[in-house]
Amino acid sequence: MNYESLKKIISGISDIMTENRDYLVSLDQQNGDGDLGISMASGYEAVKNYVNEAEERDLGKLLMKCGSVFNEAAPSSLGTITSFGFMGMAKALKGKEDASFEECIDALDAGLNKIMEKAKSKPGEKTILDSLHPAIEALKANKDKDKVEALKAAAEAAAQGSENTKNMRSVHGRAAYYAEKSIGTLDVGSVVGKLILEAIYKSY
Amino acid sequence: MKKIINKPENFVDETVEGIILAYGDKVKLLNGDKRVLLTNQPVKEGKVGIVTAGGSGHLPTFLGYVGQGLIDGCAIGNVFASPSANKMAEMIKACDYGSGVLCLYGNYGGDTMNFEMACETAEFDDVTTAQIRVRDDIASSPVENADKRRGVAGLLYAYKIAGAAAEKMMSLDEVVAVTEKALANIKTMGVATTPCIVPEVGKPTFSIDEDKIEVGMGIHGEPGIEVRDMMTADEIAELVVGKITDEMPLAEDDEVSVLINGLGATPLEELLIVYRKVALMLKDMGVTVVMPHIGEYATSMEMAGLSITIFKLDSELKELLVSPAATPFYTNLNK
Repeated sequence: MNYESLKKIISGISDIMTENRDYLVSLDQQNGDGDLGISMASGYEAVKNYVNEAEERDLGKLLMKCGSVFNEAAPSSLGTITSFGFMGMAKALKGKEDASFEECIDALDAGLNKIMEKAKSKPGEKTILDSLHPAIEALKANKDKDKVEALKAAAEAAAQGSENTKNMRSVHGRAAYYAEKSIGTLDVGSVVGKLILEAIYKSY
Repeated sequence: MKKIINKPENFVDETVEGIILAYGDKVKLLNGDKRVLLTNQPVKEGKVGIVTAGGSGHLPTFLGYVGQGLIDGCAIGNVFASPSANKMAEMIKACDYGSGVLCLYGNYGGDTMNFEMACETAEFDDVTTAQIRVRDDIASSPVENADKRRGVAGLLYAYKIAGAAAEKMMSLDEVVAVTEKALANIKTMGVATTPCIVPEVGKPTFSIDEDKIEVGMGIHGEPGIEVRDMMTADEIAELVVGKITDEMPLAEDDEVSVLINGLGATPLEELLIVYRKVALMLKDMGVTVVMPHIGEYATSMEMAGLSITIFKLDSELKELLVSPAATPFYTNLNK
């Protein structure tokens, strides 16, 4: 991955969030306050605008700035969590203008770990981690295969992971107040994770 | 609402403008940003930087402690709201004098999340950071959940100890260790008798009945432990000192510092009447008071009420407490 491919990926994620804005709002209204679709669409749009205009080519510095741009544009819970994800990836890619596929997988893993550390959360708690974690595991398992094939496996794992949140009980955020009622509903954060992986796959 | 302001939305900016016009020789803004205040006095090269942040509406907390022997920078939020992570990150970088920066702040959700993020950003730029969250308000959560407690007037003592330790050129790890030792011995509890008004809200966000007192209320009007019939100064002193010493027993020959903090609308006379009783109780226990602080240190707009903080000292903490400090809003030279 270099600046050009990062630009393409971010732009793809922004587009998919904008397309799904209303769908995410309606899912979030079931157990949250309904602003998630709006904050994700505006957060990724701000990041897309930043990356498009950026003169920086160091992937670490680009992703670090994405984290703070996202936080300014979307200061919600999932917005903050997303910013931590960007920052975790940034540290792993600091000083690199071009990163191998394996380095990108490691960076995604670092981003995931940063989210788990800062949000004090782990997979199985009905969050965005439930789609991101299986996707990154799939990437690790398929890292020696063709890139597109590995990304396809990751997107499928994310979609399945998101689907699995229907059987989980919420333990974080406002949804935790409806812990029992949350069983049977899809976690909106995990849908965001699924859409991210879908966009990354489509950008290749 | 009857407040002496211009426009509610300019409340914070105009306060900061007033501060710079009055004390611009002692404090300054970071690149003209009215949300980041830095010391304007000489700082020793290689000293650990001490920074804080928090919402407005509590002067002299937080920004009033920027100055000599205390803290080096403060990011300023809207009334009762955390400043952004970006402002904090800029401040941390500006207050790195080569030995790292301690972020010392009250344990509130927004401030915590934003400092976590700001420290990530600063660390990415190779600034070493440490964080300590002040949790001195014993009424805000039971002892078994002490990590959830909020930071209130005890913040002043934390700034004082960390600032003095940094001034002595202690390393970041040493400053962290001595500040944590101090915080284990700093306990606060407050009472409130009237509510406060956030300018942009325009009316009180909660109410306290005329003949009642809120025991344990937080500095944003967070509900306390209980609502009681109005109490006398002596009863308040007995209740609060009792709760604090239940958790932090005091024995003969112990040394403590005592802070009687007015919340904004309580006269100094009333604070002194409460101090009188606290001092008599401590004297009866054979406990010596070092450098008592009586006045407004952490307010809540026009809320009436007060808090009592007891800081149990050892020889190291005592030396750091009494070492000189001066800011436009605070000095211990007169205590």
